[in-house]
Amino acid sequence: MSFIPGQPVTAVVQRIEIRKLRQGEHLILGFSIGGGIDQDPGQNPFSEDKSDKGIYVTRVTPEGPAEVAGLMMGDKVMQVNGWDMTMVTHDQARKRLTKKNEDVVRLLVASLLCNASPFVQTEFAI
Amino acid sequence: MFCRTQTTRAAIARGSALEMEIRRGKFRRSVFLDTLQDSDIQKKIDHEIRMRDGACKLLAACSQRDQALEAAKSLLTCNTRIMAYMSELQRMKEAQVMQRVARRSDGTRSSDAGPMDDRLPCKGKVAISDLRIPLMWKDTEYFKNKGELHRCAVFCLLQVGGEIHDTDMVMVDRTLTDICFDNTIVFSEASPGFELRVELYSCCSEEDYSAGSAPRKLASKLSSSLGRSAGKKLRVAMDPGACSPTSNAGAATLLLPGPAVAGPKYHLLAHTSLSLSHVQDSFRTHDLSISGNEECSYWVPLYGSVCCRLAAQPHCMTQQMMSGCLKVKQLGGDPPSWTNVYGVLKGTNLFCYHRQEDMEANVEPAFTIAINKETRIRASEKDPHSKAQSICISNQYGGEEVTHTLSADSREETHRWMEAFWQQFCDMSQWKQCCDDLMKIELPSPRKPALVTSKQGSLYHEIVIDTSDDISTVTDILTRRMQELELRSQLGTSPPWMSLFEESPGGPRTPRLARHSPRSPHRLPHSPLSSLRCPWPGLLSSDASLTSDSDSPCSTSPCSRHRGWAEPLSLSSPRFRPRTLSLDAKLSTLRGRGYGGVLQCSCQPPSSSSLAPIPAQCVPQATLSCSSSTSSNSSSEGSHSPSSLDGTPFSRPSSARRSLRNLRAKLDPRNWLQSQV
Repeated sequence: MSFIPGQPVTAVVQRIEIRKLRQGEHLILGFSIGGGIDQDPGQNPFSEDKSDKGIYVTRVTPEGPAEVAGLMMGDKVMQVNGWDMTMVTHDQARKRLTKKNEDVVRLLVASLLCNASPFVQTEFAI
Repeated sequence: MFCRTQTTRAAIARGSALEMEIRRGKFRRSVFLDTLQDSDIQKKIDHEIRMRDGACKLLAACSQRDQALEAAKSLLTCNTRIMAYMSELQRMKEAQVMQRVARRSDGTRSSDAGPMDDRLPCKGKVAISDLRIPLMWKDTEYFKNKGELHRCAVFCLLQVGGEIHDTDMVMVDRTLTDICFDNTIVFSEASPGFELRVELYSCCSEEDYSAGSAPRKLASKLSSSLGRSAGKKLRVAMDPGACSPTSNAGAATLLLPGPAVAGPKYHLLAHTSLSLSHVQDSFRTHDLSISGNEECSYWVPLYGSVCCRLAAQPHCMTQQMMSGCLKVKQLGGDPPSWTNVYGVLKGTNLFCYHRQEDMEANVEPAFTIAINKETRIRASEKDPHSKAQSICISNQYGGEEVTHTLSADSREETHRWMEAFWQQFCDMSQWKQCCDDLMKIELPSPRKPALVTSKQGSLYHEIVIDTSDDISTVTDILTRRMQELELRSQLGTSPPWMSLFEESPGGPRTPRLARHSPRSPHRLPHSPLSSLRCPWPGLLSSDASLTSDSDSPCSTSPCSRHRGWAEPLSLSSPRFRPRTLSLDAKLSTLRGRGYGGVLQCSCQPPSSSSLAPIPAQCVPQATLSCSSSTSSNSSSEGSHSPSSLDGTPFSRPSSARRSLRNLRAKLDPRNWLQSQV
């Protein structure tokens, strides 16, 4: 999620549950991820800290399962079904999200909300 | 230690003669003392001799190098074991002789020394596992040695007293950074003063074992034409006197049953000795003494240390040393009352159960008295009421001293318990740190067949390539986007990386490239693609094709000029191209300008009309809009950007090339990969 530099931001941690959608023989979640400890963090357009090697959501397919569940572009994925995603390679992250025997993934994500107004949005956890 | 008397030399000359001699020796010895121990060793020696004969036959018969190396390893192990058993036999013979001499002079048996002096500490299990020997290859091995991969076969021989075990054989070449032996080796009866000798043997695994036959001149000619180190080793192999004498050769002269065994010979490369002071419940590094130098054929560049886990379990910690019925005086109360318990002395504790059945049923003991280095035990004065002595055990719990008073049923029982306690103290003083806590020893699991993984070529072969990319959907997106952006390009926006192409000369290559334009998609897989170039080459080719197929506004010369930029980079080297400084600098400056956003939409054909650099802010907006137009079932175009550019207008490369391209894109650290999930 893009934020305007100079404006206060709030980081919100939420739990998002995504039900995978079956498309042919694939189970898809409907978003793309970028990042990983084996990737160059400087090229991550979503991270606030350019040395953050975490997994970020780079794209959310419209009307896909992820969008329906509330995932937004720019969210940082911290955990997937209990597995840590802050210190994984890109491929490991992809694999943890695309396990064939799991229908549902429960993500712990951190989003940045840009506050244009002084009224701060409250944190909420699902 | 192994003194060569006339009889022993004759005994070792032949297999059959040895057996005859042993029989004769047995007969002779049986006159004086019982030979139970001797016969045990004889049996072991016979067994090893049979194994050795088998190994020799196998060595002569086998044709494959691996088999020959394994057989040579067994041969070496058998020889070492035979030597160890022989020396033990010799020692026993000498001891018997000494005893006989002493007895003859004294006339009586030597009296037993006091109970303390004669006390021997208990034996224990010693296990060594996870042996790892780091290597230190020189850079010349990697870069200048163009010859075949020089490989050595190595294994470790571990010896404690008479027990000799060998590890599995490991092939070492310059792709290995450490030699790892996965075996866990357990020596069951080791005294606390044990010396575990670790020896590393290696054998060069090259074709010519009979290298000594070639004449010297040929050798010098060969050494100049082979790779540097291979030739050096060949030259050295011709001159056997240069290297240190091999232990195998030494053993062979001593125990040679027949002609010299042709085949691979192992040489001692390094050795070290470990003892009780090295025992710990975790990994430790020890120094290795290296024999041999670089010129030897069997040389492997060792870093000079070995890491391993050496654990010991003395029997006093694992077995019950003493058990019996006891009476424990209850503290406080007058007259003192006694509780009957069943006491078990094991490890550093005296477990007191209510009944013996409780102990067998694994019920928790009623209470436990610690018997460790801090405990003090003494026999108290005779109780006026009862005849037996009682034993006082004092421990420090925190700051307090707690004394338990125990009494056994009879005097003999008390004596036996005291003996047991003294023995425990002796063991603990001898085994030192092993008695603090019980160290875990994993028993080696039943042997699994060794998995032979042959490395074919490079690491690329081992990487799994997923075939989840759907090219056709991506090409649809591509064509749509191309049309979108062509309109946009009319407005004069151009990605920031365009500035690169201003400076780089593409002129001289242009005429050649124009000819190669239809084939350019094929060339592209060979280039290690930078993040910059990923969108490009295909794009350039697409552009070029568009130029040729349909008359687009894009004129030939700028396009080929762009290609001119890409091509020199892609053609210069098929594999990893050392980055030029200028390109690096440009890449880093572009990154700083938030260029990363471009990757989201990988297909942005260059604007042909204007080459002016544009501010970076324009780009993210363009990319965001691009991304929103993607269809839901598009595959990962971000990560496999080269593949995404294979569209229907262009010639389709084969799937193998496509997957190879994907792979290179994935592996290139300069990409910021994105994956669709």
